[in-house]
Amino acid sequence: MAANQHPVRLRVDPVACDGIGICTHLAPTLITVDSWGFPIVAGHPLSKRDRKSADAAIAACPRRALFLDDLPN
Amino acid sequence: MSTHVPSFTEPADRPTAPAWLLPTIIRFPRAGSEGAQRTATESLFEHTEVWGAFPADAGREQLVDELVRCKLTGRGGGHFPVARKWRGVMATAGGGYAVANGAEGEPLSAKDAALLQTRPHLVLDGLQLAAIATRAEHSVIWLHAGATATRASLAKAIAERRVAGLPGPHIQLITGPDRYLTGESSAVVNALSGGPPLPTFRRKHSSESGVNGAPTLLHNVETLARIAAIARGLDPTGHVERGGIPSALFTVLTPTGRTVTEIRPDTTLGQLVNSHVAETPQAVLLGGYGGNWVPWAEFQAIPASEPAAQLQGRSTGAGIVAPLPTDGCGIAETGRILEYLADSSARQCGPCLFGLRAVADLVSALARGELGRADRKRLERYRAEIDGRGGCHHPDGAMRLLASMFTTFAVEVDLHLRRGPCRADTGPRLIPVPSA
Repeated sequence: MAANQHPVRLRVDPVACDGIGICTHLAPTLITVDSWGFPIVAGHPLSKRDRKSADAAIAACPRRALFLDDLPN
Repeated sequence: MSTHVPSFTEPADRPTAPAWLLPTIIRFPRAGSEGAQRTATESLFEHTEVWGAFPADAGREQLVDELVRCKLTGRGGGHFPVARKWRGVMATAGGGYAVANGAEGEPLSAKDAALLQTRPHLVLDGLQLAAIATRAEHSVIWLHAGATATRASLAKAIAERRVAGLPGPHIQLITGPDRYLTGESSAVVNALSGGPPLPTFRRKHSSESGVNGAPTLLHNVETLARIAAIARGLDPTGHVERGGIPSALFTVLTPTGRTVTEIRPDTTLGQLVNSHVAETPQAVLLGGYGGNWVPWAEFQAIPASEPAAQLQGRSTGAGIVAPLPTDGCGIAETGRILEYLADSSARQCGPCLFGLRAVADLVSALARGELGRADRKRLERYRAEIDGRGGCHHPDGAMRLLASMFTTFAVEVDLHLRRGPCRADTGPRLIPVPSA
């Protein structure tokens, strides 16, 4: 419970990312695409509902480019 | 006037403290060569005469306290607090790497080459002090492979130190390709770990997990030279209120070359340019290709001291100052620089690989007077989309340059949009840009 409530945000490793774009369909509220089809990831702390779609996007990324990051205090 | 009393390591064996980091003003060709014109390399004997012996007794805690007190910041351009980097590595078990980054990426910059070619031992002192304080097992100096004059100076200095038996790990001289991003800090760590010399995206900071996963302390060579002075009880941070060596190190682009020079931090960047360039410029590129265009009227008043400059919302970056004469076109110059930066992309991140090229094309079109109103909006959208979205800060620097073009050359941008190219657009280019 405590671990789940630790504030995290979704991030992308832009070197690993190839702009395949599955993530934007699985987490459309968190991820939009830029003019070249690469993901722009919202940097805010994830709510419970956010977390669900973020986890789906992370699991679906063929390049393993998405990850959760502890928010700096 | 100065009330600073060295808190440790009295420089007793030296009658007068050096006033500057460099022995003299040092000149380089305008572009294309890293070799200084007519300079002598200080031998270990001469170095000891000027600066005193290697301060082997500088305690690690005392030294890091002194770095805090001096507020020393990184001179690769980022101005990150040095003490904070040290504390990060000192919190680990050690056993890692201390790296001197001498791969000066910005083609206009020559201050690091100047230091390494005239006073290599001051830099190596700083490297070894950092290695000892952070319990590093390896000391590395990282250079461009084509930096032949710098390499020769360092190879000799390293050999002299080995003969003299100075403390610290064996110093390895390692080189990477002559590219813009070879000196980017994550690229250095990647290369020294056996990977390609390209920037990487790090989920952990290199102080924890750097070269080969070991704790790594990486500093620009000027930063290390200043650490070596501070360890001797001198304070070269550029704070006028302090003693020691108050100086700020700059590379100034002149009509005939690049001049590496130091000025007192209580002077202004206007005085710096006026003492090296006869003609009053229209604007100045401050901080190199990834820096900012600043209108001359504002530039003139920027303090040479970094903390004072930051109070005005400016940064001296890595100390690169490139004046643009009145007969030049800031838009055409920006377009050429952006093309170089696009060519220099490591081609790893989408926004950098596709975005920098798109932006460079649009700015070059603007310089030719071929940019429409819709394109102007597209350029602004691209800028917002690219900024902050690379694995390294390469695209951020390019977008900083672009943003400063719009503010500094606002009138010229408008004229190019409405009336087409200016006369200077077909004239000679005034800021040298190499082919990538």
